[in-house]
Amino acid sequence: MNNSPISQIQFSGITKSFGKRKGKKLIINDLDITLTGGECTLLTGKNGSGKSTLLRILSGLIKPDSATINTGLQSLSWKQARKLLRKQVMYLYQEPYMFDGSVRRNLLYAVSGANAKQRINRALQWADLEHRAETEAKCLSGGEKQRVALAQAWLKQPLVLLLDEPTSNMDDYSRHITEDLLLSFKKSGTALLVASHDPNHFYRVTDNNLSLIHGELINKPIELNTDLPNNVSPFPNKLGQH
Amino acid sequence: MESLDATIWKAITLLFSGDKELWNIIGISFQISTSAILLALLPAVLLGFVLAYAHFPGRRFLISVFNTLLAVPAVVVGLTLYILLSRQGPLGEWKLLFTQTAMILGQITLSFPILVAMSHSAFQSAEIRAWDTARTLAGSPIRSFFIIMREVRFGLLSALLAAYGRIIAEVGASMMLGGNILHYTRNIPTAIALETSKGDFAQGIALGIILVSMAFLLTITLQTIQGRGALAHE
Ligand SMILES: Nc1ncnc2c1ncn2[C@@H]1O[C@H](COP(=O)(O)OP(=O)(O)OP(=O)(O)O)[C@@H](O)[C@H]1O
Ligand SMILES: [Mg+2]
Repeated sequence: MNNSPISQIQFSGITKSFGKRKGKKLIINDLDITLTGGECTLLTGKNGSGKSTLLRILSGLIKPDSATINTGLQSLSWKQARKLLRKQVMYLYQEPYMFDGSVRRNLLYAVSGANAKQRINRALQWADLEHRAETEAKCLSGGEKQRVALAQAWLKQPLVLLLDEPTSNMDDYSRHITEDLLLSFKKSGTALLVASHDPNHFYRVTDNNLSLIHGELINKPIELNTDLPNNVSPFPNKLGQH
Repeated sequence: MESLDATIWKAITLLFSGDKELWNIIGISFQISTSAILLALLPAVLLGFVLAYAHFPGRRFLISVFNTLLAVPAVVVGLTLYILLSRQGPLGEWKLLFTQTAMILGQITLSFPILVAMSHSAFQSAEIRAWDTARTLAGSPIRSFFIIMREVRFGLLSALLAAYGRIIAEVGASMMLGGNILHYTRNIPTAIALETSKGDFAQGIALGIILVSMAFLLTITLQTIQGRGALAHE
């Protein structure tokens, strides 16, 4: 599905801080990451560790203090690569923004060129949204919005797809569909990077697990809490917390 | 002076008898205000858009400039343009004073800040997420711009109607810049002012009825739009 000549994007030396002078806070510290087509990386890290910030830098949405991007064809500064990143790296919000109008209209915004109608219909079918095609997109559930965003990504066919906490606020059924859709992206050669603070999500999809700690990436083997049934709280003494 | 009933009756007769002079004045009013709005609209909306989404030094300052301009009285706008356009003024060679063009310039100046300020807040009402999403989905910035324009269309229409409401009923600048010349620069508000000063209330009331109906229509439309807008964002 992806016909881009690039199959990998290497980022090196990403540094990002917020604030000025005394209030300056280093969020990402000289970090390297490589995104390869067909692979799915899980990015874990505590709240506030900088996962969203990193994802937004990778997709060209916010400017890092420094970074170098290598596509295998050329080596670029973030500024030079910004256009490429905007085109090839797609960032999906935790709750994707839906424009006023039907689901179909929201998909239409992601299509250009011929056969728009057929392509939209195929995207609806792919994301199991056919019954929602004419629904007001702003009124969808969180899981359905996420699927609309995935269908948009499917239409855009970016090289890299970045997902920010895609399955928080999702029930098991929605999560299952989402995982299926992510698997389908992987198969077609898209590189996936999923930010989540729960390593138990996405074990069906994930190839490797990186953890963001103090602005640096630590390679962690995937460890699963397989002896815990899905819906039981790991903290039996603190039932009802959330 | 005639009795009030008689005057009102005369006014209504004037309106519905298709009095040529009266309808000529009404026509001039709408023609001038519509030209002014059409000329101001695109640059003002673009500026509102840039002020909402682009970050550049001086952005905040520009926003406060336009908010201040909102409060500048029409007579001051009229006076400023009068000085610029008068024979001894820097733009005197253009010989625009007491022409429709001068009135259009005046009304553009009056409507521009409203259009900028209101379209700025319309664009701001859409989250930055909306703009980022539009940029991600649509290939070109122009297409993204149209997606966002559609997203905030109710706010933009409100801006248009509010600006139109201000200039169609404005006396000060029109009087000073147009000179109230019959069949040329006499519009509804300047005609009302003149006829009233002459003690001829019937024409004034007839024109007043047009303005009030206009205002009523604009308000109703605005309310409907804002209601629809609110619903669409629930
Ligand atoms: N625009 C900004 N200005 C200042 N500080 C910011 C900004 N954006 C993020 N931060 C700070 O950077 C840090 C990392 O934020 P970020 O949203 O990337 O974390 P996260 O890992 O995604 O957290 P979560 O798991 O809660 O989503 C936080 O301390 C946050 O306060
Ligand atoms: Mg986050």
